[in-house]
Amino acid sequence: MSKLVLRGIGKTYLGDVQVIKDLDLEVHDGEFMVFVGPSGCGKTTLLRMIAGLEEITAGTLHFDDECVNDEGPADRGAAMVFQSYALYPHMTVAENLAFSLKMAGVSKAEQKKQVDQVADILQIRPLLDRKPKALSGGQRQRVAIGRAIVRKPKVFLFDEPLSNLDANLRVQMRVELTKLHQELRCTMVYVTHDQIEAMTLGQRIAIFNKGKIEQIGTPLEVYHHPANTFVAEFMGSPKMNLLPAHRVDIADGRQALQVAAAGTVDLPMGVTPGASIATLGVRPEHFTISPNALGLEGHISLVEHLGEATLIHLRLLGTDNDIAMKLPGSHPQHRAGQYIRITCSELHMCLFDDAGNAIAVAR
Amino acid sequence: MKQTAPQRALRAIPLATAYVSLAVGAFIMLMPFYYMLVFATRSNTEILSVPPPLWFGGSFFDNVSELMRFRSHFWHAMGRSLVIASLTTVLNLFFCSLAGFAFVMHDFRYKDKLFAFVMATMLMPAFVSMIPTILLMQAIGWINDMKAMVIPGACGALGIFMMRQYISGAIPRELVEAGRMDGCSEFGLYWRIVLPLLAPALGTLGLITFIGSYNNFVGALLVMRDQESFTVPLVLRSLQGTSAATWGAISAGSAIAVLPLLVAFIFYSRRLIDGLTSGAVKG
Repeated sequence: MSKLVLRGIGKTYLGDVQVIKDLDLEVHDGEFMVFVGPSGCGKTTLLRMIAGLEEITAGTLHFDDECVNDEGPADRGAAMVFQSYALYPHMTVAENLAFSLKMAGVSKAEQKKQVDQVADILQIRPLLDRKPKALSGGQRQRVAIGRAIVRKPKVFLFDEPLSNLDANLRVQMRVELTKLHQELRCTMVYVTHDQIEAMTLGQRIAIFNKGKIEQIGTPLEVYHHPANTFVAEFMGSPKMNLLPAHRVDIADGRQALQVAAAGTVDLPMGVTPGASIATLGVRPEHFTISPNALGLEGHISLVEHLGEATLIHLRLLGTDNDIAMKLPGSHPQHRAGQYIRITCSELHMCLFDDAGNAIAVAR
Repeated sequence: MKQTAPQRALRAIPLATAYVSLAVGAFIMLMPFYYMLVFATRSNTEILSVPPPLWFGGSFFDNVSELMRFRSHFWHAMGRSLVIASLTTVLNLFFCSLAGFAFVMHDFRYKDKLFAFVMATMLMPAFVSMIPTILLMQAIGWINDMKAMVIPGACGALGIFMMRQYISGAIPRELVEAGRMDGCSEFGLYWRIVLPLLAPALGTLGLITFIGSYNNFVGALLVMRDQESFTVPLVLRSLQGTSAATWGAISAGSAIAVLPLLVAFIFYSRRLIDGLTSGAVKG
């Protein structure tokens, strides 16, 4: 196990193409950290820089207290599971697992012992004599993880390892990876563009955008308290609804939030006084049908019945885009074309300023 | 929709044209080979008769005896040709695959320019290098030495190109990176991971190199001067200069000389075709 410390890390390719910009990050000892972000945001490049497969052009990378900038990939004590698994096709599963040990000069008896141990952990003992082409996607995935485990690395690096699996297997492997982390208690860094994987696997999540980290936090922190509109929209499916809003004075000296021409909602208590509110963010599941004539008015453009919930796409008055509202259970009474009023609890509102940054709300 | 008889006939024309063209091409290419085999079994009188014989005769062993009488070192020449071709092939496979590996899996300055330069050497006519080759071999004392034929053929632009194309199409970079993470040295990456996966391309290049080296007449003519150092193409050519040697003996020698190539081709022809077409389409 090891702590990872990145200080002022940058990556510039020839021709001054900067893909990682002055990045600071600390991955705690034994932590499962997930890097998530859209394609091309630099998350895989950073993982490869940690692995030693890409040169670090600025800043320092420490494994515990040791700077490893100039160490080769094999000397850093990191093991990587590749997106394509990268199993050696001409070797059996046992040979794949033992390869790093063989390179390290470990005796054959010790190689066999360690390979058997890993095979037992991952339940792949019956597969040891097979070649990779004779394995299913899930089995290959296990072997790839086994190849990482057998090295007893300080840090595990995963580069979108589940992206080639079908939906069912992906769910199963997610659970297995979580259990594996609990069992091994190793430091793991996991790259994905799938925010559900990030939410379910990570103890902390770093959300990347254009070579920078937009927010680092626990899954619930980034979900409920996004640092900016990018994180708000990226995390969650359907994404958070972002509505144009501004303060208005209502009766008795109180203030509310005016959302386009759709109506007003209560201004959350504890909003920083004088903060310039430009956007109201509400998760689809936090909207409810208004029990009275208050709230935001709009017409239903589409209703999706998901079984356990109903997804209503709504166009609020005075807005150009549909918003999504997720109601638990079935709601056959709602149909496209109907006008309804919705509202949401101030506890679940996120507020953003003109620059898209979150406005602090003392709750 | 059901086609009428004229429509079917019209559609069959391109296919029939292709078959006829192939048949004519095959006939033109196979006839000399066939006549070599027929003449190897015929006496000189039969060969020179008009019309010439079209079928095999019974004089093969007489022709072989005559070949041995004029060129007793024929078998040595054949052995020498096989050794030269085998060594050239092994070295060519090694160096070309190593270069292909470097061009695909390593990033270094002027990589593309260097590759373009290597490819440009293919444009140079072979005869341009003849005189420098002779002078060089004389200077280093390799005249009549097998090294003079093996070393210059140990690496070639065609081989490097083939290997580079195959590696870039068939071997994912992640495989090499995984090897790097596992602690493999750079040569180890080539030897333990890349080379075992090159079998189809190695088979193709090996066959091409072996045939080219075994048949190399001009190269041998430049550097092999003593009869004791002659390779098979030189021995067969030298027979034509002796007035007493018959066409039957020359044909018998040619037929024997072509046997190793036939065996190699029969074993590797499928691989040759696979290798030549691999990487042509994204699979």
